[in-house]
Amino acid sequence: MKLLRDMLDKQVVDREQVKIGKLDGLVAELRPGKPPRIIAIEVGSVTLARRLGRLPGQWMARLAAKLGGERHARPHRIPWSKVRDIGVDIEFDIDARETAIFDWQDWLRDHVIGRIPGA
Amino acid sequence: MKKLLEISLGVVTSVGGFLEIGSMATAAQAGALFGFQLIWSVVLGTVCIIFLVEMAGRFAAVSRHTIADGIRERFGFNAFLWPLLTTVLVNFMVLSAEIGGVAIAGELATGISFQWWALPVAFVAWLLLWKGTFGLIEKGVSMLGLVTLCFVVAAVMLKPDWKQVAVGAAPSLPSHDTANYWFMAVSILGASISPYLFMFYSSGAIEDRWDKSYLGTNRAIAGLGMSFGGTISVGVLIVAALVLGAHGISQVDDYNQLPLMLIPIFGFWGFVLFVASLGIACFGAVLEIALQQAYLIAQGFGWTWGEDSKPRDNPGFASVYSVSIFLAAIPIALGLDPLRLTVFSMAITAASLPLTVVPFLFLLNDKHYVGEHRNGIISNIAVIFIITLGFVLAVVTIPLQIFGGT
Repeated sequence: MKLLRDMLDKQVVDREQVKIGKLDGLVAELRPGKPPRIIAIEVGSVTLARRLGRLPGQWMARLAAKLGGERHARPHRIPWSKVRDIGVDIEFDIDARETAIFDWQDWLRDHVIGRIPGA
Repeated sequence: MKKLLEISLGVVTSVGGFLEIGSMATAAQAGALFGFQLIWSVVLGTVCIIFLVEMAGRFAAVSRHTIADGIRERFGFNAFLWPLLTTVLVNFMVLSAEIGGVAIAGELATGISFQWWALPVAFVAWLLLWKGTFGLIEKGVSMLGLVTLCFVVAAVMLKPDWKQVAVGAAPSLPSHDTANYWFMAVSILGASISPYLFMFYSSGAIEDRWDKSYLGTNRAIAGLGMSFGGTISVGVLIVAALVLGAHGISQVDDYNQLPLMLIPIFGFWGFVLFVASLGIACFGAVLEIALQQAYLIAQGFGWTWGEDSKPRDNPGFASVYSVSIFLAAIPIALGLDPLRLTVFSMAITAASLPLTVVPFLFLLNDKHYVGEHRNGIISNIAVIFIITLGFVLAVVTIPLQIFGGT
């Protein structure tokens, strides 16, 4: 399988088929004498901004930390060992609600969207 | 039987979704100034959009990806950013123009200036997206959009010289106002080949859970629906040519001239029909484009999306369409002339085409996505033609805007 072609930018879902995000980045471990091995995937705006360049990455990390607290300064990682199925979407055996990935959507729901009648 | 119903519904939907302020205004202007001579650009635009819509539907049904998903996945985030930003910007302008269209209908109906209508229109549209389902929006509003068929009826009742109409369907060189002629041709093409239309269609195919068994349905909907839509545009053009032209109105630069079109044929009811057509067609487009903005962003970043779930279940998605609608209402509320904005944004749409159409050539030939349902030779020739057309339009639009724009 060609990792970059077949994996990167695919839709990532959790075990309940909830859309978590796109596969924004791959984390590989370099091993001496052996081919590198994928250990995790990354999701979120910090990873995306890093793909545009070093500076946008730093800006986004600073912005994310300011808005969401220190733990959002680093990209969200999901261990590769949790991967369950690779099809149209890539399914991971996790529960999106237990991660920090949806923090901003939760904030939006609790502070804005949820307060508008009929939401 | 169920499929037949589905097809007719789909056709109705695309007929209702085809005509909006863009096709109406550009066809009316072209008809008034050049008679039947620019019919070819409506025909050409319609043929192009038939191919693109068919491909968008086929891509979604076979690969279970929307076009936006496909572009991001196939070309990566950095490349996706360009069509994303361009489309969001173009959609914003078109959305604003459509809100302006409904606002003009409001002004024509009540005499209250269009500026005051912008925010109420935005609010009602937002409320429908907030509370409604995809089916309601897709089918309900489009059914109402069938009122625009009155232009076809009017065109037939005017008994045009059909031979002249047929002559107009073939491209020809203008005898006067050359720059203006080409600018109008570009605007008509931009109004017919709208990226939001085929991107929305592919999202709709996913919302309606299409699979391979829908390929025939898809072909029928794309072909029939878009042809009917194009027919209505031609109807507008014919009516404009025969009515406005005959009354000595060659430059449609004020929207107050537009309702005159149907009055000689239907009398007072012609005025009512025009206002209703304009209002409903533009309102439908407001809903579609606002939704498309949300689809595009949500699909691009992998958020949950879907018009059928409640806003609290996908806050990101709901925020995008809410913000889009109200932001787009602001220029109109501040008094920006909707007609000028329309013609301008149609030309910009045409110029942006390469960014959204080039991906079709790759996506529809990639067996990872569409397998055996890859493009045949005819579809590929069509895509390459549209890409070439898109590049030509992208290059000529800005100079024409300067020399031929109204």
